[in-house]
Order: sequence, then C-alpha cells, then structure tokens
Amino acid sequence: MFKDLDPILHSQLRLAVISLLISVKEAEFTFLKEKTNSTAGNLSVQIQKLKEVGYIDVTKQFKDNYPQTICKITHTGIQAFEQYVKDLQTYLGKSIKV
Amino acid sequence: MEAEEKKLSEKESLDLIATMINKAKDSFHDTGIGVIMWGTIVTICSLVRLSEIHFGFRLPFDIYLLTLAAIIPQVFFTIKEKKERKVKSYDDVYMDYLWLGFGICIFLLILIINNIYADLGPLIGDYKELSKGRIDKTDFQFSEFVSPLFLLLYGFPTFVTGAACKFKPMLWGGICCWVCSVIAIYSPVKVDLLLTAASATTAWLIPGILMEKEYRIYKKEQALVNV
Repeated sequence: MFKDLDPILHSQLRLAVISLLISVKEAEFTFLKEKTNSTAGNLSVQIQKLKEVGYIDVTKQFKDNYPQTICKITHTGIQAFEQYVKDLQTYLGKSIKV
Repeated sequence: MEAEEKKLSEKESLDLIATMINKAKDSFHDTGIGVIMWGTIVTICSLVRLSEIHFGFRLPFDIYLLTLAAIIPQVFFTIKEKKERKVKSYDDVYMDYLWLGFGICIFLLILIINNIYADLGPLIGDYKELSKGRIDKTDFQFSEFVSPLFLLLYGFPTFVTGAACKFKPMLWGGICCWVCSVIAIYSPVKVDLLLTAASATTAWLIPGILMEKEYRIYKKEQALVNV
C-alpha cells in the first residue's frame, strides 16, 4: 500500500524551496526567488506555508538599511524531505540517490 | 514557476529536487581575490628574500612584514564577500575555521621557531667556532630547516579545501607544497626560497586566478539570466 505523499512538499514551488534549502545552511529570499524563477508574492505565500508547518525558519532583519529575509531548513523540514524522497522512491519502485 | 499549487508527478518531483540541488551547488563561487593576494605576497616575499641573499643587499625592513600587512585587506575582502553572499553553505563554516586555524598555526610556528633560534643560535655559533678544522661539516644552518615546516603547513588547508570544494588545481597545489617540503629538507636556503615561491604560486596564485575566471563567467551568466 502506497503512503500518501506529504501535501505540503508535493507542490512545485514549496518542493523547489525545500530542495534548495536542504543543500545550504541558509539562504536569502532573493536567492530563492532567483533560483526558482518565481514571483515575490507567490514565493512569500509558499514560504509562509512552510514556516507554519515548521519545515523552515524565517529570520527577518535589516542589511544596509534594506529588509532581508533569511530562510533555513529545520530538523523537522529535513526529516519531512527525507521521508518525501523515500515515498517517491517507493512510488517509482527504484532507488534513486539524492 | 508561475503555478502556485501545481501538483507534480513523482518523476517530475524527483527531477525538480535534482535540478534545485544542482542549482544550489552551482551558486557557490569564490571571487578568488584573497587567494590571489596571498599567492602573490608569499611568492614576492620569497623571491625578494632570495634576491637579498643572492645579490647581498638588505631592504630597510623585513619583507615578510608584508604578510602581516596583508591581513588588513584580507579582513576587508572577507567581510565584503560575506555581505554580498545571498547564500551560506555548510562548507563555508568549516572552511572559515580551517583557514583561521591555519593562520593561528602559522603565527604559532613563527613564535616557536623564533624561540628555538634564540636559544639555539648562540650554541650553533659556539659549535662552529670550536669545531673549526676538526670536523668537516660545520655549515649547519637552522634556517634551512624552517622552509619545510612552513611548506608542510601551507599544504594542509590547501589540500583540504581543494578536496572539499572539488577544485583540483588547489588539491594539486596542496600536494605540490608537500613535495616541495620534502625537497626543501635536502636543499640549501636559496633553493628553499625558490620552492616556497613555486609552492605559493601553484597552491594559491594559479588556483586563485582560475577561481576568479570562473567567478567572472558565473557573474556573466547570471547577468544574462537576469536580463
């Protein structure tokens, strides 16, 4: 019996954000926007959703008088991502190294 | 990525994960300026000291003081680069500690060598005086054994950085430092200084230039993407 894929991660932009954050220690909002080719508004909404479920930490601060948003994946986020990849592998029925 | 809640197939999900991980990996580019600077300074210092010995002149100051002066621009470059970076990798933290540790080791090595020399210098002088005409080999020079120690130390962080960042020129540069360290044990001071210059060039200057070139290409690509 297949396990349901995590609905939070099974969405294009949120999965893209988590995949970027899993590879780095922390990243600025502008970096995520640039790499995902998304709009600021859409990205903000998806980041908020990821934050609400505790998958990422969001820190807002000022840098050279400009607001700066820094995102960082949490331990819960890492576990959810790993589970998501495992579930995907089960669906596809083959082992894929990520 | 325009669709806000676009659902993906399992295959698309895995492709997206792989793409994003590669994109993240591809975003770490060192400007190479610091590496170029240190490579140039150590090469210049070694060659100037070699010229001093070979041509028998003396500069009014110790040329190696340049390495101390270079700490100021290095701090400036590091702060500037960190400010400009939009992303911090896990490697960054380890690399910072590795090179900070290297700096501390170099400082301690200089301190230890100076202390040994302060104690050993007069003894060597006395030994040479007493053994004149009695023993063939009285040309022991402590300074001949200093370069291998520095080269040994230069190789370590360079090799680790090259391996961790999968940057082969630096990896080979680190190995070159160790090879030169072994050769320097058996060579006279002048050759040691040449080996130090060669090591600094292969370990830092050349990889730094390559890094800077890659960084410029990356910046150009980014500029084109953002048009």
